[in-house]
Amino acid sequence: MNYVQRRRFLWVLFLVGMALIAIVANATTLARLHFYQLVAHSSAIARVRCLHADTRVENGEIWTDTVFEVVQRDKGFLPSVIVVRMPGGKYEHLTSHVDGVPEFRPGEEVYLFLTGQPGRQFYVVGWSQGTFRIRRNARNGAETVTQDSADVPVFDPQTHSFTKMGVKGLPIDRFMEKLTSEIHRQSL
Amino acid sequence: MVRKLAATGVALLFALWSVVSAYGYSFNQIVPDVRQPASASGGSACPVPAHQLSGAGSIAMRWSTALGTNPQTILTSNQTPAGQLNEIQQVVQQSLGVWTNVAGTSLTSSTLAPLTTVSPADSCGADGLNTICFDQPDMAFTPGVLAFTRVITADAIGVQVGNTVSTEVGQILDADIYFSPGNATVTFATPSALSSNPKSYDLESLLTHELGHALGFSHSAVWSAMMFPFAPAPGTYTGVRPSSQSLDAPLADDDRTGLRVLYGDPNDTTYVGSIQGRILPANPLSLPVAPVGVTGVFGAHVVALDQASGEVIAGTLGGWSCQAPGPVQFDGTYELQHLPVGHSYLVYAEALNGAVSPSDVSDALITLCRNSTTDPGWPSSQACIVPSVDQQFSTRIQPSP
Repeated sequence: MNYVQRRRFLWVLFLVGMALIAIVANATTLARLHFYQLVAHSSAIARVRCLHADTRVENGEIWTDTVFEVVQRDKGFLPSVIVVRMPGGKYEHLTSHVDGVPEFRPGEEVYLFLTGQPGRQFYVVGWSQGTFRIRRNARNGAETVTQDSADVPVFDPQTHSFTKMGVKGLPIDRFMEKLTSEIHRQSL
Repeated sequence: MVRKLAATGVALLFALWSVVSAYGYSFNQIVPDVRQPASASGGSACPVPAHQLSGAGSIAMRWSTALGTNPQTILTSNQTPAGQLNEIQQVVQQSLGVWTNVAGTSLTSSTLAPLTTVSPADSCGADGLNTICFDQPDMAFTPGVLAFTRVITADAIGVQVGNTVSTEVGQILDADIYFSPGNATVTFATPSALSSNPKSYDLESLLTHELGHALGFSHSAVWSAMMFPFAPAPGTYTGVRPSSQSLDAPLADDDRTGLRVLYGDPNDTTYVGSIQGRILPANPLSLPVAPVGVTGVFGAHVVALDQASGEVIAGTLGGWSCQAPGPVQFDGTYELQHLPVGHSYLVYAEALNGAVSPSDVSDALITLCRNSTTDPGWPSSQACIVPSVDQQFSTRIQPSP
């Protein structure tokens, strides 16, 4: 790519960016939840570690039950091991797929914003919005927290601009501070 | 127009362009069950995108006329019972029409069987019938979830759901669309009722999006795409409506290209361009040691822009290829298909470490392989393990000689 082509390419990229910003997102499935709404809608919030997942059929529908060990409880009552149920999964020759449902790998640690009752399955509030994955820096061990939905921007009709309102790469102590302070504020 | 580009590693600008960062259309991928006889599985472990049959009258859709009344969640401008149902029927017809009038695809209005209705509220279920339900509770609904689509796909021929039996691998046997019921804070309005109900979500665009899932689409991060996963807040919908001149007007080029890939018209001569290449690291030692056999960058997001308009025409997740009998080879290959000919394109590749992360596109990546751990008895010769997405690279693009 020569200099002229590169300059033209950069201009096109710039124009694409502007065009995308000018377009209102079209559709569906999830409604934006602010952090305070996530906390308010959750009967329990906890740091959990994924142990394993099983697929089962109930009332003719395929569900995935993921078993988590509770590492740290931040809101509500939770037993030491919980089951979180999400729609979809693979059963014999059928795959039931629901887009936007979070999936977890054994050993993975996440903060989950949950709704449900002890003794039964829990459900994740707002699916990707109530899922906050913990990443550990291999070199220094520092942990950060990223919300599954953090990367998708939201259009603000008042400012006519896109903003990202999710949690992304937040150091874990700052995330804890944010969470604790919101739980405390709502308990007053 | 076919251009082959080879992209090699090391820093340049594209990874910095995170404001664009739009991964394009993606599909649910199904690996055929090669433990079954070849007559049922096709004998190949190469992934197949989930899809509906596209012959005349092969996609049947029905909707439940049971509408929530306490609270009322579907709002129409005509308040009479018959007028209300008529208005919703028009919305469903219009939304289906959006997907069946795209040039270069085999999906046409004749692909659809006549739209029918059903009375019970709980008509959605694994019964082999594609149904839209407006008042069926489901445990999957939690705060923030407005609507979702359950898509059931077969990994072999001869698999049955209800009375529907798969005749192709990857065939969608059942796709049900659920709208959030019984929530006074979540209402949906038809286009004609939207202006008088500014706190409602736009029913037509939500339904069009969900019908995209019913056709096999996963989400897209192109903000203008119909398959973008978030709804505009109530009172803020300003998207394009279908018109008699342009029934597919609500779709973005990304949606249209995806539809052509899934349901290409074999007689089409316009959207037959493709761009293909491989993404290779400058330093082969940077490739992962495990799983074995990874020879290229996996999980790069490759996007084609129309040079004249600057529009995102298509995007794909590169890094793999597959030739029968499989399994998938993680060799850095990407291919952008069904591009309009006679245009020039700019192609860039970026790592999924900016505005889009692997978790956003995991559905399109983690289902590429099956093995004896995921499926006991799986033949080792057709087994593979999906490697971690390479998030460490940046790119420069070199046109091939």
